[in-house]
Amino acid sequence: MATAAPVNANRVDPRRYRELNVLQRMYRCRADYLYVLPSLGVMFLVIGYPIYYTVYLSFFNTPPSLSMDEKSFAGIENYSRILASSRFHEVTWNTTIWTFASTFFAFVLGFGAALVLNREFPGRAVTRGVLLVPFVISAVAASYVWRWIYHSDFGVLGALAVQMGFSDTPLNFLDSIDYALPSLIVVNVWKEFPFAMLLMLAGLQTVPDQLLRAATVDGASVWQRFWHVTVPHLKGVILITVLLLFVQNINHFTIPWVMTGGGPAGASDIWITQIYQIAFGRIRFGLASAYSVILFAVMIVIGYFYVKALAFGDERPNA
Amino acid sequence: MTTQPMTAAPAQIEARRRGGGKRRRKPGTAWGPIGWVFLVLLVLFSLLPMVWMFFTSIKSQLTALQYPPEWYPHNPTLEEYHRLLSPSSEVGGEFLTFLWNSIYVSTATTVIGVAIAVPAAYAFSRFRFPGRKFLFFAVLFRNMFPAVVFLMPLFIMMRLMGLVNTQASLILTYLTFGLPLSIWLLKGFYDNIPIQLEQAARIDGATRFQAFMLVVMPLSAPGITATAIYSFITAWNEYVYALTFLNDDDKLTLPVGLQRFFSEYVTNWPGLMAASFIMSVPVVALFLVLQKYFVRALTEGAVKS
Repeated sequence: MATAAPVNANRVDPRRYRELNVLQRMYRCRADYLYVLPSLGVMFLVIGYPIYYTVYLSFFNTPPSLSMDEKSFAGIENYSRILASSRFHEVTWNTTIWTFASTFFAFVLGFGAALVLNREFPGRAVTRGVLLVPFVISAVAASYVWRWIYHSDFGVLGALAVQMGFSDTPLNFLDSIDYALPSLIVVNVWKEFPFAMLLMLAGLQTVPDQLLRAATVDGASVWQRFWHVTVPHLKGVILITVLLLFVQNINHFTIPWVMTGGGPAGASDIWITQIYQIAFGRIRFGLASAYSVILFAVMIVIGYFYVKALAFGDERPNA
Repeated sequence: MTTQPMTAAPAQIEARRRGGGKRRRKPGTAWGPIGWVFLVLLVLFSLLPMVWMFFTSIKSQLTALQYPPEWYPHNPTLEEYHRLLSPSSEVGGEFLTFLWNSIYVSTATTVIGVAIAVPAAYAFSRFRFPGRKFLFFAVLFRNMFPAVVFLMPLFIMMRLMGLVNTQASLILTYLTFGLPLSIWLLKGFYDNIPIQLEQAARIDGATRFQAFMLVVMPLSAPGITATAIYSFITAWNEYVYALTFLNDDDKLTLPVGLQRFFSEYVTNWPGLMAASFIMSVPVVALFLVLQKYFVRALTEGAVKS
């Protein structure tokens, strides 16, 4: 990408082009913008404006009727109310566990799967296909299947535990304050480890064989080759994969909402489900907007690293 | 690339190599029996819930609610599938409406999204206009934000535009996540099409737009197909917008329909599993058939080779 000459370079002598100021350059490239204009237009309408409006709304008290003429300015009251509430701290703690645990296990399973799949064996393509199925199916369907598997009376998992002697009575998964969140994390990991697997598999294919061979010749063990050759080479890919998983998890709504709705007693409530509950359950858009802005702030910090990691990948010379 | 050149290697290297474990193509990824056990467990973990979904769907309601469960359906029945897919039954009529709504919304989203994304992705891949990098990252940045926080402003916007409880509202909002993703996937494909082809076309007198339409577009057909199907699957599976924007039963898409519809018959697990199965089959089939393209498309951007 970096090496190829731009298509439009022949219109202007490159040396002269460099001397132009930004406005002149933009004018020279005016036709280019036509290509991106429809996208930017739609994105402004459905992304840019909503972000602005959320920030704006977070400083207001909104009436349950949602007629926005009747909203009243509240200053930072929404924020102070959220940050002071003990509910916020519980939900933040749940969100932290949910996000870190899901990311960690999805990454480990995905990386492991990628390592095993990164060699030729009969049925490799079929195996990869099977492992991708959870990733493709709808989160709602997945949530219902797992709800049925976890069912407290007729669930197959509880019955299995009894059968194998782990427990006398079928286990309670989703109705238990202690097990609800871990049970959801299992479902989430099940659903998204294939995504990590795909990215890591693509990354592994870029590790040069010569490097690994050279390490072998030098007497490196399997583990040493993995740790000192493969992992350093994949640093960029690992970073991006972990960041993407992290973002996906912190933003995940469907599985917790469909499976437990945040319950029992808020034991599996995370930021997203809480925001949804405040906005569309209690119809308090102002408060929910303030909550969203706090989430924005966190995402912007992560987004900064994400863009940096991507830009880092972009600067690397193409092989 | 292959192991063949290695046959010429000195014997001692060969011996040490063998000491490092059984390896095939790639050195460094030979994990031996542990790897196989891990793989088998992982396949079971992925597959068994799906198998259980299917098994439950072909049981009668009575057998499904047994303790201990019937591990394997001894008297399989397609009753639930019949019910869901026959337009005359009450349940079937509703289900088929949801199915049709899902097909309609997903198709419209895909067509509009891809049509808008193609030129943008091409521009991001080829042109060097000022602000290109900034705009591209702005596009990607959208993916950082959860759907839920866009819900409130969009909901108010839809109310102002009178679009609440219409499928147009869904199509419009699905573009919020469909577009950035499509642009990102397509850019990866365009980056891989040699620029020399267009340069040759330009020398032969084609305009820039002609070079794009006549040379690049045909070559990127696989990329566009993969992107289109990926965006179809995402729209097909989308839940939270549909949950919030639609109220009327005859407008719901499958993911939401599934929920509303079965909450009335809470205990009909075989029916719910059958509906989930019908809903999953098309996307899994599409994905597996075109696996090769997706894997490339999805990983292209994140992993530069």
